[in-house]
Amino acid sequence: MTVSIRPSLRTSNEYQRARFPREARLLLLVAAALYATTVAGAQDKPAAAPAPPTDTKPAEYVGSETCQGCHEDIFNAFQKSPHHLVETDKKRGWETKACESCHGPGSKHAESASAADIRNPAKLNPAEADRACLTCHLNQPTHVGRIYSSHAKNQVSCVSCHSVHKNGPNGLVARKAPEVNQLCAKCHADVWASFQRPFKHRLPEGAMTCVDCHNPHGTLLARSLQTARANEPGCGKCHGDKAGPFPFEHAPVKVEGCMACHEPHGSANPRMMTRHEIGFVCLECHSNLPAPTLPANGTLGTSPPAFHDLRTPRFRNCTLCHQKVHGSYVDRAFLK
Amino acid sequence: MRYLLALLWIVPALAQQPPDTPPKPADQAAQAPAKTDDKAAQAPAKTDAKAESPAPATEQWVTGSVDLGYRWMTDIRGSFPQYRSVVNLGEGPKLFGLDFTITDPKKRLFDRLDARAYGWGGDPYSTARVDARKLGIYDFTFDYRNIAYFNAVPSFANPLAPAGFNEQAFDIHRRTMNIALDLLPGKRFTPYLAFDRNAGYGHGIDTFLNDENEEFAVPTLLRDSTANYRGGVHVAYNRFHVTLEQGGTTFKDDDQTQFAGTNFGDRTTAFQGQKLVLNSLQQAYGIRGHSIYSKVLVTASPFSKLDIYGQFLYSDPKTDVRYADSATGKFVNPDTLSAFGAQQSLATGSAVAPHTTGSVGFELRPFRRLRIIESWMTDRYHDTGFGLFNQVLQTTPPTNNITTLAPIQVVNYNQEEINALFDVTSKITLRGGYRHVWGDATVRAGTLSQTGDEVSGELRRNVGLAGLTVRPSQKLSVNLDYEAASSDRVYFRTSLNDYHRARVRAKYQVASALVVQANFQVLNNQNPSPDIRYDFESRRNSLAVFWTPAGSKRVSVMAEYDRSTLRSNISFLLPPFLTPTVSAYRDNAHTATSAVDLALVRGAKLTAGGSFFISSGSRPSRYYQPLMRLSVPFGKHITSNTEWQYYGFGEQFFLFEGFRTHVFMTGLRITR
Repeated sequence: MTVSIRPSLRTSNEYQRARFPREARLLLLVAAALYATTVAGAQDKPAAAPAPPTDTKPAEYVGSETCQGCHEDIFNAFQKSPHHLVETDKKRGWETKACESCHGPGSKHAESASAADIRNPAKLNPAEADRACLTCHLNQPTHVGRIYSSHAKNQVSCVSCHSVHKNGPNGLVARKAPEVNQLCAKCHADVWASFQRPFKHRLPEGAMTCVDCHNPHGTLLARSLQTARANEPGCGKCHGDKAGPFPFEHAPVKVEGCMACHEPHGSANPRMMTRHEIGFVCLECHSNLPAPTLPANGTLGTSPPAFHDLRTPRFRNCTLCHQKVHGSYVDRAFLK
Repeated sequence: MRYLLALLWIVPALAQQPPDTPPKPADQAAQAPAKTDDKAAQAPAKTDAKAESPAPATEQWVTGSVDLGYRWMTDIRGSFPQYRSVVNLGEGPKLFGLDFTITDPKKRLFDRLDARAYGWGGDPYSTARVDARKLGIYDFTFDYRNIAYFNAVPSFANPLAPAGFNEQAFDIHRRTMNIALDLLPGKRFTPYLAFDRNAGYGHGIDTFLNDENEEFAVPTLLRDSTANYRGGVHVAYNRFHVTLEQGGTTFKDDDQTQFAGTNFGDRTTAFQGQKLVLNSLQQAYGIRGHSIYSKVLVTASPFSKLDIYGQFLYSDPKTDVRYADSATGKFVNPDTLSAFGAQQSLATGSAVAPHTTGSVGFELRPFRRLRIIESWMTDRYHDTGFGLFNQVLQTTPPTNNITTLAPIQVVNYNQEEINALFDVTSKITLRGGYRHVWGDATVRAGTLSQTGDEVSGELRRNVGLAGLTVRPSQKLSVNLDYEAASSDRVYFRTSLNDYHRARVRAKYQVASALVVQANFQVLNNQNPSPDIRYDFESRRNSLAVFWTPAGSKRVSVMAEYDRSTLRSNISFLLPPFLTPTVSAYRDNAHTATSAVDLALVRGAKLTAGGSFFISSGSRPSRYYQPLMRLSVPFGKHITSNTEWQYYGFGEQFFLFEGFRTHVFMTGLRITR
């Protein structure tokens, strides 16, 4: 066991530096620089030459068959796509005009064949691209957690993950476990690195996917965690034996969730714990003196009774005796 | 599940019978007269041309592949239990993968059916999935997984235990099955039904405690299952959507322990002159649980500039408890220090935990460049338990201990958040926001045994939010996400208190074939309270390179490197004298993953790569998984795959837990 007496209390300057780490300050600088660069870049552009006189008549809808003339491969794939429903469903108002439901009216583009004359959602800014999708998809159960989604807040648009034209129900987004994980790992490379640690959930093996635990469209829970049985954390979907309710609950499990003690993506510590020995996981919280009221620091968690002699190995693994640490059906001290 | 696998085999085999006769042009036209007519009205020449060309008779409506092979392994050097805890692959013939798609040209029972199965033949991760769909009629999904969990890591228990390891080791299989059926997908009213089941079964090591003086590790049978039934309806119109769902859950846990023999436990010295021993034990849990839950989800767009979101979720799980144990041996009553030879325990109890969650929010777009997102949520969980525990010690005279407890746990969590997103230009979006979190939790925590008074912890947190997204060109995107929080009250000593969290993601397409991506994130959490002094900081930096020259025709390279550091210091009281001490934890890790694909002659492909992890700090460890794979095609439909992978694991402080082994796999991939 690694314990050490703290040599000295830190000075207030040290504390301030810890509160505002240099990365935070660096980030602000980077943000400012990026902002300045982009704005300046935008301003440096020479004034656009006066546009040649163009037809001011607004573009009109021409129907998908016109689009097929040039984009036959996309059109053919689209016939087998779930999105093809837009082409045939009268109630949505885009019957025979599915292409233009996202790309906008195409008469000018059909005449000029210029990319500038048609809306390409892939090149729009993410919010505008999403509006094209959400015109139809907003009022669906999938998006009920959208306002909590960090993807939405951080401008990760629908087309970052979904391929709109592709053929077949599995074409719009990855469905096979390795492909789903690869798709997420393309941006979350740091998270994927955690799964290369020895103790982890079995994602690299293809037994699980990121979306088993996270809903990329957002949920009520932090980190877009999936829920089970309406409002229970999604961990209980597979770990039902730890879901309870227990007559004797262990407070952090329900109050702060599994991640109070576990690193769910992967850890060098057995059982994906947050510390190298289970004793430290427990004692870092169980360190208030026993008292009928809350201690001065206002936190829950009381020191174990004195017979817990941590100088002997048999007391260092708390879960050896407190084996029902997720909650007990029988015993108030989680022994049975 | 063998039957399922057989079915997965049989369906494509039957499906390989060709369609009776190629449809005649007239038949085709008859099958979709309305559509043809409509199209004919708009583009008659084209439609006629299409009608005259029937579907080619050779068009494959079953496509897919099957991967069969054999896996060999060299002897596992080092700790076999640790190998099983980390890798757990075995030898023998395997069905590595089965993946096929049936597209029914006549669209009889389905338009398309996708079936997949991976890792069958004794592998620790066996999965199967079937998706069937008929457009506008139904969507059906069946998903099955059988995951083996083995865990026996001596260093995580008491490595000095005389009988070897004495932790709660286990060797179980956890099987999950999910079935879902959506009717009339895409229509206004979409009813749906679903069934989920999760069950664990296997053996493990449990600990029997008579008192704090001795623990006896005993084998146990673990078995639990949870079944979840749900049904509902989605009602979707252009301007609003409502989902109503009602569900129910049943749960049972029937863990059992039986032991007969001589078990001296993990105490190496006599207690009060007595050598304690366990001679027999019968222990049984009979836990039954059930729950109902309701879910209402709403989204609406009453105006073009306003979207509204709402959820109401309610569940009411209940648990009933039956427990009994009976043990014989030589034990000591710590209260009287007298020896006794047998004891029995009976327990009963129950718990109810109504849980209500509600949220409401909106996105308002008052101007073209401005979006305001506001949300509010509350989560209320009230667990009321009851437990009666009766223990009889066969002392002289017998000692009867009866304990009755009615513990409670109440958790109320509330959160309000507002964000404003402003598109400065079409390439820059700024985000600023504020989150207020507050709540309370009441638990019996006056003492560890929960017999003390109830105490209530509080949570008060103010969080500032900021973000920036910059996309100066199609080739470059940068995203910054930052939040800083100050808390007046937190529940636990290690909770997030005064913290800063920052994250940057940048992606740059250097050339058409080269993409570089970098991630950086830091979390700094401080709790300066004099008896806590929690100082936590974790950082992660990663760099990924994707190089795909000439569309990956010859070579493609994916390489990622991740550097993570974690520093944690916190004061705690070290038993038995409650000495103020600092718990110092460090974890500094390097992780590298790579995959290089090389196209060889005649369609052969060589893949080399793998992952490498090495860490220093409180638990220095390394884990290597290099990999090479050679794929050689034989004709159009058969490919030979040969793979080598090395698994090497080691820990500096626990050398006895290291292992290493080479795993070889060879097989055929047959495609259609």
